[in-house]
Amino acid sequence: MIPVCRLADLPRGEAFRLETDPPVAVFHTEDGELFAVDDTCTHQDAALSDGWVEGREVECPLHASKFDLCTGAVSTPPARLPVRTHHVVIEGDAVYVVLSDAPPNLPPCALRRPVLGEAT
Amino acid sequence: MTRSALPGSLIATLPGGHYTSAEVFAAEQRGIFEAMWFCAVRAADLATPGAYRTVTVGRESVLLARGRDGRVRAFLNVCRHRGARLCTEESGEVRRAFQCPYHAWTYDLTGRLTAAPNLTRMPDVDRTTFGLAAVAVREWLGYVWVCLADEPPSFEEQVVGEVVARLGDTESIERYAVEGLAVGRRITYDVRANWKLVVENFMECYHCATIHPELTDVLPEFADGYAAQYYVGHGAEFGAAVEGFTVDGSEGLERIPTVAPHQDRRYYAITIKPQVFVNLVPDHVIVHRMFPLAPDRTVIECDWLYLPEVVAAGRDLSRSVELFDRVNRQDFAACERCQPGMSSRLYAAGGVLVPSEHHIGAFHTWVRGRLGGGE
Repeated sequence: MIPVCRLADLPRGEAFRLETDPPVAVFHTEDGELFAVDDTCTHQDAALSDGWVEGREVECPLHASKFDLCTGAVSTPPARLPVRTHHVVIEGDAVYVVLSDAPPNLPPCALRRPVLGEAT
Repeated sequence: MTRSALPGSLIATLPGGHYTSAEVFAAEQRGIFEAMWFCAVRAADLATPGAYRTVTVGRESVLLARGRDGRVRAFLNVCRHRGARLCTEESGEVRRAFQCPYHAWTYDLTGRLTAAPNLTRMPDVDRTTFGLAAVAVREWLGYVWVCLADEPPSFEEQVVGEVVARLGDTESIERYAVEGLAVGRRITYDVRANWKLVVENFMECYHCATIHPELTDVLPEFADGYAAQYYVGHGAEFGAAVEGFTVDGSEGLERIPTVAPHQDRRYYAITIKPQVFVNLVPDHVIVHRMFPLAPDRTVIECDWLYLPEVVAAGRDLSRSVELFDRVNRQDFAACERCQPGMSSRLYAAGGVLVPSEHHIGAFHTWVRGRLGGGE
């Protein structure tokens, strides 16, 4: 279990980015549920924790792909691959995540190491 | 005829080139429109969070948007990344953020950079520093005013001061409760004339009896050629048989209840330099915002503002609106008639102003004074 933050520091409607490799986003929804998914959109390198949560969905801030926070499934493209989900544990006032063993679905640009002079 | 050779009754206008030259216009953009407070949009047009408008101020496109906190903010409409125009529409609504269509740099309604491809791998990129460039904002009379200057001049001196100079105090305009009125009608005029011709036209009434028959019927004293703006605190009185400020002198709409008895049945006109004209009558207020786009092109948005209940009830505003719509069309046709003459050899040294127009000379002195400044 990896400690994330105090529950009091993660109000409803907010997200916490955990600087793991790859980074993980923990969301506290308006309805009071907690979910953890990989923070990186599977379509292009963008932080889902900078996106917007509505109900149990997160919308990527870049191209408006939407992911189901429960299952990680894509509900709105352009993303095609699901985002990996993690297990959230709450003990007292502390929030923890248990990282998934499954391989992540990271976008190509987040996997590649930068090369000087690289062009699109 | 040289300036010094003019008879005492006449003073010179600006030379014709001031109305046609790209260089003069660029100097005016820098020294006037980008340096002063500029009336941009009606605040109520940005009704809900995410509602936005873009306007041209000097050489810049400015984006105005209402935030989730209810505040209106203004930004340069330019992506901080590679300079793409962020919003190309004149108005619209975004859900949460402005996104550049080029590389998807994404800014929230406060202008902060919230997302960009690979942004989390550039932790040294500060999201405020590389957010949208903010422009100074003030709200007054229900309008959002912006100022592109690094150090904006005093709003009270530049804007409120003009109203006080004309009406004698601020209470006189506050009684019209302009910020609480609703837009009953808006008409946009695309005028093929230099902005100064439009200002000069609005400042004098020497032309009124010739081109404004309806207005002169409602305000008979306009036939003497002296503008309502000639005397401090003076409002032109409605003709004895006139019931309201309408195209045929018929009854107007419900009077704004806070208008003072001495303001009733009178018309007040104010020029707020450089680009706003305000007309006050007992039942409505007319606000013109000018957007100078080129030496020979000025777009004017004109709002007719009434009590909110008058607008909500769907009352017939047509005779009320038609009076000043006709005046506007008559005026702008006159301005467009002058524009080609500005490049005539006859007008190289300018034209002349008669005594009832001599106060326009002060406007010309003011314009010349501002052109020396700028960057």
